[in-house]
Amino acid sequence: MLLSKSRMDVHDRGVRYLARCMLESGMEVILSRHGLIDEVANAALQEDVDVIGVSFSVGGHVAASERLRKLMQEKGIGEKLVIVGGIIPDDDIPALKKLDIDGVFGAGSSAAEAIEFINAKVNA
Amino acid sequence: MLDKKTMEQVEELKKGFDAQMKKRYGDKPFDLKTDGGIPIKPVYGPDDVQDLNFKNIAYPGQYPFTRGIYPTMYQAQPWVMQQIHGHGTPEHCRERMDYLAQLGLTGYGEMRSYNLVFDQVCKFGYDPDNPENGDMVGLVGVNMSTLDDYDRLLNGLDLTKTSVVLNQGIHSMIALAFYIVYGEEQGVPKEKLRGNTMNWLFKGWMSDLEMYPPDSAFMIMSNFIRWCSRNMPKWNTTNIVSYFAEEAGGTPVQEAAMAMAISIELTKACMDAGLEPDEFLPRFGFQIALGMDIFEHVSKIRAMRRMWATINKERFGAKDKHSMQIRCHSQTSAVSLTAQQPYVNIIRSAYGALVGVLSGVNGMTINAYDEALGIPTDESLMLAIRTHQVALYETGVPNVTDPLAGSYYVESLTEKICEEADKYLDKIEKLGGFKKCWETGWLREELANSSYEWRRRIDKGEKVVVGLNKHRSEVHRKTQIYKVDPEVKETCIARIKEYRATRGKEKEREQALADLKVACQGVLDNHKADFMPALIDCARARSTVQEMCDVMKSIFGWGTVY
Repeated sequence: MLLSKSRMDVHDRGVRYLARCMLESGMEVILSRHGLIDEVANAALQEDVDVIGVSFSVGGHVAASERLRKLMQEKGIGEKLVIVGGIIPDDDIPALKKLDIDGVFGAGSSAAEAIEFINAKVNA
Repeated sequence: MLDKKTMEQVEELKKGFDAQMKKRYGDKPFDLKTDGGIPIKPVYGPDDVQDLNFKNIAYPGQYPFTRGIYPTMYQAQPWVMQQIHGHGTPEHCRERMDYLAQLGLTGYGEMRSYNLVFDQVCKFGYDPDNPENGDMVGLVGVNMSTLDDYDRLLNGLDLTKTSVVLNQGIHSMIALAFYIVYGEEQGVPKEKLRGNTMNWLFKGWMSDLEMYPPDSAFMIMSNFIRWCSRNMPKWNTTNIVSYFAEEAGGTPVQEAAMAMAISIELTKACMDAGLEPDEFLPRFGFQIALGMDIFEHVSKIRAMRRMWATINKERFGAKDKHSMQIRCHSQTSAVSLTAQQPYVNIIRSAYGALVGVLSGVNGMTINAYDEALGIPTDESLMLAIRTHQVALYETGVPNVTDPLAGSYYVESLTEKICEEADKYLDKIEKLGGFKKCWETGWLREELANSSYEWRRRIDKGEKVVVGLNKHRSEVHRKTQIYKVDPEVKETCIARIKEYRATRGKEKEREQALADLKVACQGVLDNHKADFMPALIDCARARSTVQEMCDVMKSIFGWGTVY
């Protein structure tokens, strides 16, 4: 599991909590910070993770998700599971789904929901 | 505090009370704690305050200022209603500034006060066309990249009657350089400008943001404070923001102790830069959280006022009373807001406002109800401002200063928070002080642990958040979410390109940027130079935010600490 958040976004309380819960549930978790979203795609390739999770709390999630999915295709890792979370307005969910973002965990989601979702998908 | 005879009466009554309690509830203890985890009792009485030293409480305006920093508080001057805002282009932001003024937002006296937040792009020192901007141009703050942007934002305002908070985060000194030059060109000398820079380069302590490394950060902050103290005596240089500690998960005790630890480290750095405490402490301000546990947060603010006064007087030998008075800006808790049933947040923020007024804060930001979803709409902003105004005009709370003083509970909780925060501060200092604990990540881990515990309690249902883990609503009422004009990024990119092509002053700029580099090196060389005059020259020579920041980053270092 690779979890990442922009180096320009201070709101890391949620993603850090999620990382800790994932670790406790037995997942291997890499928690990182990125500049360009390209760094996330590169890290996913290098670390050969099953799931990529990106947290956004200051917007830009649709554009970044689009670029992430495109880069993943180019790198041949388009099949990996991608989830996003943070401050994601409901109105943006259709656009994210269209970009093949597998799961969206906005404000108020519990760590358990995300973990359950990943376990169901990855072990399916 | 009480005489022997009265205490005897109290003990008699207490016996009766204890017997009644026992009869009704048996010996089962009440497992009560404040939200921050301090054990409390169901009832407090005179016996809980009998050992208090009245000198530590005193009257408002008296050392150690526990009850408020002035003898008269809201009777003479309401708190400053400072809604933080900013988005889009400078024109979008200006529209909001005018809207806020129209809703009745004012500063002290005749001053107009604006608390402006810049976007992530300029906060981190990038121009809008830099690929590193992560598509964040103008999204959660206004993009202010050039001197022209200051004209777009402020044109027509009388700067001598305007107070601005330039929240360009880490790079607020650059925002000030632009503001000084804008003022100059409007015929207003820098000595007459009023406002506040954040100067919170310590911000990386609670999050692994891109940042100047801790050693450089304290050199930059203290150098900046030295220059301002000597050149712009009315300018408020620094915001000791402990709000972030609370928002990152900290308890009130942690928030109070971390605020003091930051202030101590910065005071030492300023003294190393050659300043006397009374030259700069009066221009420090605080930004404190107004959390959900009402009495705990009121007690925390009372405790923080006492702690800061005591530390500055006793440890640093401050003599000017202004060096002992916390000027306290505050903000209602954002972490308590929910995306579920967002209208309920109006109630949460109003209780936060009550904490502020009961505590006697000097300024307050009340979060809008939709801030767990996006930046505020016109409607949600209006409601936030009306919350200030109802508190001020209708509740009667502002009539009496520190109305909770003398409450058995609040006085003993204030005392307890002082004690606990002193102990925690002692721990930080034993570990090498704030800067060391920032470098090692100890503070960050402490906050993360508190945050983890908090969320665990919610997930287990031990802590109820209405609408989230209890009383969820099946009816999904759609909330309107503010959408920033999608053209903003392209507009800002087109403008910066145009600006670079037409601004002129090539030679002056080259020289100014070269001088800035030398000045920054001088700062690191034991403050042999000041960097602000060089930054001002860069702004005069039409440099962009990124051009200036690139020079600073190249000398001071830049990146994440962890």
